[in-house]
Amino acid sequence: MTCRKAKKLIPLCAGDDLRPRLGTAVRAHIDACLSCRKELGEYRQDLTRLKTAAKAESVPDWSEGEWRALAARFKPAAPGEKGPAFLAQPRWAAASVLGAFLGLVVLAVLFKGPMGGPERVATAGRTDQAAAVRKQDVVSMTMVSQETGLQIVWFLDKNFEWKGDEN
Amino acid sequence: MRMNETEKELVEMVLSGRTEAFEPLVTPYRQPLLALAYRLTRNREEALEVAQEALLRAFRSLARYDVSRSFRNWLFQIAANEARDRFRKRTREKAALENAAREEPSSSAPEAGRERREIRSDILRCLAVLSPREREVFVLRDLEELDIKETARTLDCSSISVRVNLSSARRKLREEIRDNFPYLEE
Repeated sequence: MTCRKAKKLIPLCAGDDLRPRLGTAVRAHIDACLSCRKELGEYRQDLTRLKTAAKAESVPDWSEGEWRALAARFKPAAPGEKGPAFLAQPRWAAASVLGAFLGLVVLAVLFKGPMGGPERVATAGRTDQAAAVRKQDVVSMTMVSQETGLQIVWFLDKNFEWKGDEN
Repeated sequence: MRMNETEKELVEMVLSGRTEAFEPLVTPYRQPLLALAYRLTRNREEALEVAQEALLRAFRSLARYDVSRSFRNWLFQIAANEARDRFRKRTREKAALENAAREEPSSSAPEAGRERREIRSDILRCLAVLSPREREVFVLRDLEELDIKETARTLDCSSISVRVNLSSARRKLREEIRDNFPYLEE
């Protein structure tokens, strides 16, 4: 390892934050290089001083009033009672479900098949009317004898001309 | 640092509806959480807001907490996210103000103006030379003494990213101490 490469890694070496194999290589170089050893020592000292100064400095704390006010906000509802379970799912899950639903809607619109447009509706209307007229072309009449139970059925066309009977 | 049995019991109590158990659960971390927020935001009032919001978010999302993790680190993660969100929001809102502050020749800090009035501590003034990400990494790894892996997890980034930012942060801080805070070296 060269000094140039070692000096790049010294800041991490100072806190023992290199991966084991790289750390071993850097330490091997440092053991043999006075300049890099000196720099590593300085980094370690600076780091220690920063940590010491950070521990010694005063950091803010909660006033009792601030803490009480916050603690009061922990009361209203338990985390498990915050509404439907699906709301507790991660956002990506909700987004996936929504995306899938929208995709299905788009597919349903695209592949719904021929639409019942005005022309088709009109044609269908005419067909129904023709069928209705055809149905009315033939009329049947049934006579049932109350005494014997005999049934006589007459089939007549629209002009009431006899077509046949069955019993 | 794993969650201890008492904390597990308190978490289960809160999740079963006994919300009064949340306060004893977080009380041991209230000061460390505020200190972390203070070092990230460098402003007492904002740190208080970050810590409050972090604790409320923790309360609301306790059901998603992974009990195999350290509860303290989980709180730190929420607080770091909150501080970052606020920083981004503030950056957007006050871009013009910050540009004006940066143009001042006497300012070596990336964020001047409002923060300069707030900063009393040498450590916080040192941290001013770091980018937000470098500051997060340095505070969590060196001041809060999380390991690299846990720092990466807390900041939702890779270990490589942590090492890159940590190296850069330590280099900048060393220069800053030598240039502006020589008495810290004594």
